[in-house]
Amino acid sequence: MRGLGVFLGKELREIARTWRIWVLPGIVLFFAISGPPLAEVTPQLLSSVMESQGTGAVIELPDPTYVDAYLQWTKNLSQIVIFALIIMFAGAISAEKRGGTAILALTKPLTRPAFVLGKLLSHTILLTVTTLVGAAVTWGLTLAVFGEAPLAPLAGATGVWLVSALFFVALMMLLSSAVDSQAGAAGLGFVVYLLLSIATIWEPAVTYSPAALVNAPTEIAMSETVALGWPIGTTIALTVLLALAAVAVFRKREL
Amino acid sequence: MTQAIAISGLVKTYGEVNALDGFDLQVPEGSVFGFLGPNGAGKTTTLRILSGLAHPTSGSAEVFGHDVVTSTLAVRAEVGFLPDVPGYYEWMTAPEFLRFAGGLFGLSGPVLNGRVDALLDLAGLTGVKTRIGGYSRGMKQRLGVAQALINAPRLLMLDEPTSALDPIGRKEVLDMIASLRGRTTVFFSTHILADVERVCDRVAILDKGRVVTSEAMADLKSRYGGQRFVIDTAGDASHLVDRLGGEEWVAEATMLADGRLSVAVSDVDTAQRALPAAIVQAGLGLKRFEAGEISLEEVFVDLVGGER
Repeated sequence: MRGLGVFLGKELREIARTWRIWVLPGIVLFFAISGPPLAEVTPQLLSSVMESQGTGAVIELPDPTYVDAYLQWTKNLSQIVIFALIIMFAGAISAEKRGGTAILALTKPLTRPAFVLGKLLSHTILLTVTTLVGAAVTWGLTLAVFGEAPLAPLAGATGVWLVSALFFVALMMLLSSAVDSQAGAAGLGFVVYLLLSIATIWEPAVTYSPAALVNAPTEIAMSETVALGWPIGTTIALTVLLALAAVAVFRKREL
Repeated sequence: MTQAIAISGLVKTYGEVNALDGFDLQVPEGSVFGFLGPNGAGKTTTLRILSGLAHPTSGSAEVFGHDVVTSTLAVRAEVGFLPDVPGYYEWMTAPEFLRFAGGLFGLSGPVLNGRVDALLDLAGLTGVKTRIGGYSRGMKQRLGVAQALINAPRLLMLDEPTSALDPIGRKEVLDMIASLRGRTTVFFSTHILADVERVCDRVAILDKGRVVTSEAMADLKSRYGGQRFVIDTAGDASHLVDRLGGEEWVAEATMLADGRLSVAVSDVDTAQRALPAAIVQAGLGLKRFEAGEISLEEVFVDLVGGER
């Protein structure tokens, strides 16, 4: 794995010094900051909207709680943040191939597995740190707004989501090493997301596959008990397989 | 003599197209070797195979005895490479990029710092604070040569290093290459004949995936006739073409588009005496009599075909 340390260092500096530092962390922090206040005012907003319609209907909504803030957080992670991740990471390898930067790096003693692993690790670090900071902000603001914020549901939901997000990181590494077009790789990433979402209606998939992790963060945020041993195990195994496949595909490619 | 590069029966096909058609080539260590050929001849494909970026369909290629397919890391440790269009991390500065490149070779500390400073000086980039994204093409190309030298390579491979540059940029890069003579083997591809004539001591000409010739520059020129005389006469000299063409010491006699007579000769001494005499005998006045070496361009056109 020669060159991994140097290349990983380059990747982390690149994240810190280019647009990458703003996109994913920006989105996650925006949702972390806006989620709890929005959860508190949502019932009032809905009531105002209904009253302005002049229908005379009165809707009684329960008072918002910390659960609403947690649900905002997990829904945003499961949809918008995953979409951003798919788009952003779709060009992780192909962009270096297209731009010629991979050629200068890979004609030095940097192995191709180290190149792919450097990308995977740097993106994993970015995603994990961003998610943890976002979760901490969500927890703090939820406590400030609602006066209570139990840690376990938020930590559990965020942790399970992170497992599924890392599956998508590995998937996008594979697609980016196999497909030269960033749009094409992103399109295939969305197809996988869609298939997993559809698979949630099929009981065996929910029991054993990563499809269970699509809705699990929301259920955990609501303090429901969910059996996730198999889905987490298969998701981690598939993540490792996808990473190995990304390395194998990139090794065979001509630059 | 140690061979820096030894290629044997190298074939590369893309579908039905033979990019490389089974050629052999030896590049002696210490030479500045020009790899010349028209666009599409297979130069870049050869360099991509030598640098491990592409795989040969068949045949073999070795760099200092290391097979480029099975010992790719050993090859890369000995080689500095500059592609035809180098891509940089444009958010870096030149010193940062050189440090990154050196780090990949396992260099660190004072050794790396010393090389970075020396190469920035060689590339004329000392003190340049801007990021690479703001560099001109010439600056990027000079940085490209510098990064290829960070590991003090035994072999420097450059793919069309001057093709996209203006005359000043070309001169700067060629001066850099010329300054490496005696320090490292340089193997560079180009379709610019003047660049090869200026800095190379050996040359191979590639055409349609095959090596047409590979030899020392001096041998190539002498083998292809040595000298040419261009004669400007008062009066039409076209009838002399056939007559001179029959002489033993004449390799080729042609009329140029501007009406001057061009005579390539194999025996210069005889030509110097006989040509003016032939002009006088033909009843023509001699306005100008110019002798010069046959250029690589003429050899190139002769070898790869004038239809290009």
